[in-house]
Amino acid sequence: MNAVISVGDYLGLVNHSLRTIPHEGMVIEGEVVDFKISQGKWVNFDLKDEKAEAKISCFMTVFALNVPLQGGMRVQVAGTSKVFERFGKFTFNVTAIELVGEGALQKAYLALKEKLRLEGMFDVERKRSIPRFPERIGLITSGEAAAYGDFLRILRNRWSGVTIVHTPVTVQGKDAVQEILGAFAQLNALPIEDRPEVIVLTRGGGSLEDLHAFNSEAVARAVFQSAIPVVCAVGHERDESLCDFVADVRASTPSNAAERVVPDRREIDMNVSVSIDRIGDQLQYEIDGKMHEVDRAVSIFDRSLARLMQSMDDVHRRFGYAFERFRLSLVATVEYVDRRVQTIDNRLRVVIDERSRSVTELERVLKSIDPKEVLKRGYALIRSHTGKILRSSRDVAPGDRLTIQLGEGSIRAQVESNATQESLL
Amino acid sequence: MSKKISFADAFQELESITEWFETQNVDLDEGVKKFERGLELAKMLKEKLASVENTVVTLKKKFSDLDNSQTL
Repeated sequence: MNAVISVGDYLGLVNHSLRTIPHEGMVIEGEVVDFKISQGKWVNFDLKDEKAEAKISCFMTVFALNVPLQGGMRVQVAGTSKVFERFGKFTFNVTAIELVGEGALQKAYLALKEKLRLEGMFDVERKRSIPRFPERIGLITSGEAAAYGDFLRILRNRWSGVTIVHTPVTVQGKDAVQEILGAFAQLNALPIEDRPEVIVLTRGGGSLEDLHAFNSEAVARAVFQSAIPVVCAVGHERDESLCDFVADVRASTPSNAAERVVPDRREIDMNVSVSIDRIGDQLQYEIDGKMHEVDRAVSIFDRSLARLMQSMDDVHRRFGYAFERFRLSLVATVEYVDRRVQTIDNRLRVVIDERSRSVTELERVLKSIDPKEVLKRGYALIRSHTGKILRSSRDVAPGDRLTIQLGEGSIRAQVESNATQESLL
Repeated sequence: MSKKISFADAFQELESITEWFETQNVDLDEGVKKFERGLELAKMLKEKLASVENTVVTLKKKFSDLDNSQTL
C-alpha cells in the first residue's frame, strides 16, 4: 500500500534532502545569463554551464550583491538551494558571489576607475566643449571595423565639408594600446592648419577583454592629456570604458559619436531658414512701424494743411468782403468827388456868369461916362499949355495958349480975356 | 565680403544678426544692410549644406605623412 502525502509535504521532503548538500567549502562556477533586478531589491539570474548545457536559477538581494554583475560574466556563487512551494521552482539562494576571469578584470577595472576618479580625471568642470561646426575631425579607430563605416556613414548623412583625419589603429590585442597612444601623439603633433578640432576615439562593442585597450590607464591618460578635445564612443549602448569617463564628450556608439560631433544639416538648414524669416519679419515689422509713423505724420500734415487752407479761405473771403467794401466806398467817394466837382463847377459857372454880366454892365457904365462920349455930345475939354484940364476961368490969363479937345479933333486957341463963369453966362 | 569665411563664422554672424534684430531698436538703414548681409550668409550656408562630400585623409601609422586621401 502506498503512502499518500500532500504536495507541500513532498516538497518539504525535497527541501530537507537539499539541505543535506554541503554549502560550506563549495562554490558553483558558471556564466551569468538573464541577469535582472526587480523592484530595486530582487536579483535574478541563471547560472549556466556552457559545456553541459545545464543551468540553475539563482536568486539574491541587491544588498548581498557586492560586485557590478552583468550578463556573460563568469562567477562563483555560494549558497543553498530550495524548491519554493508556491512556484514549484528550484532556486539557488546566493549568499556570496565572486567574479572569476573577466570578473577579475572587472575588479581591476573598478579599482583603476576609482583611482582616476579621485585624481579628478572624470570631473565635469574640465570637460571641454567641441566646436559646433568642426571642419577637421581626427578619427582613431580601425579602418576595417564596422565602427569606422558607421561613423563615416552617419557623419555623411548629417554633415558635409568635413575633413576626417583618420589614424588607423588596431582596437584590440596586444598592440592596441601602443597604437592608440601613437595616434593621439600624432594628431596632437600635427601642424596647426592640419590639426583636427576634435578627436573621435571609437570601436564597436565587445567583451571586457576586447575593450581592454580602452580601459587601460595609459589610454585614459592620453585622452586626458590630449590638447584636442576628445569624443569617446566605445562599444554598445550599455558598455562603458574608462576612456568614456575621461573624454570630453561620451557617446554611446560610433554612430552616436558622429551625431555628437557634427550637427544635422536639416536642422541647421531649418535654423538658417528660420533666422532669415525672423530677420525678414522683424525688418518688415520695423518698416510697417515706420510706414505707420509716416502715415500718421502725413495725416497730421494733411489736417494742418486743411486747417491752414481753411483759414486761408477765411482770410481770402474776409479780404474779398473787405476789398469789396473798400471798392464800393472808393466808388462812392469818387462819385461824391465827381458830384462835388460838378457842383463846384456849376457854382463857378454861375459866379463867372454873374461876374461876366457885372463886367458888361460896368463896361456900359464906364462907356457912358467916357469923356470922349461926352465930347461927342458937344462938350469940349480945355487944357492949359501944361496939359492941365481947366476947370475955372481963373485958371488962365489973357494971352495963355490953350488946347481945346472936341468930340472930333482939337483946336489950339489963345485967351483973349477971362471972366467969371457967371459973367460969361 | 570674402567667400572664404568658414561655415562656423558665417553661422555665428547670422545668429548675431538675428540677435541684433531681436534686441535692438532697429534702425532701418542699418537693418536693411544687415538683412542683406543675412541673406548673403544664408545663401552661402545653404550652398555649403547642399554639398554632401566629406574627405577622409588617412595618416600612416607612426608617420605624419599624408598617406592618401579619398573623397567619400
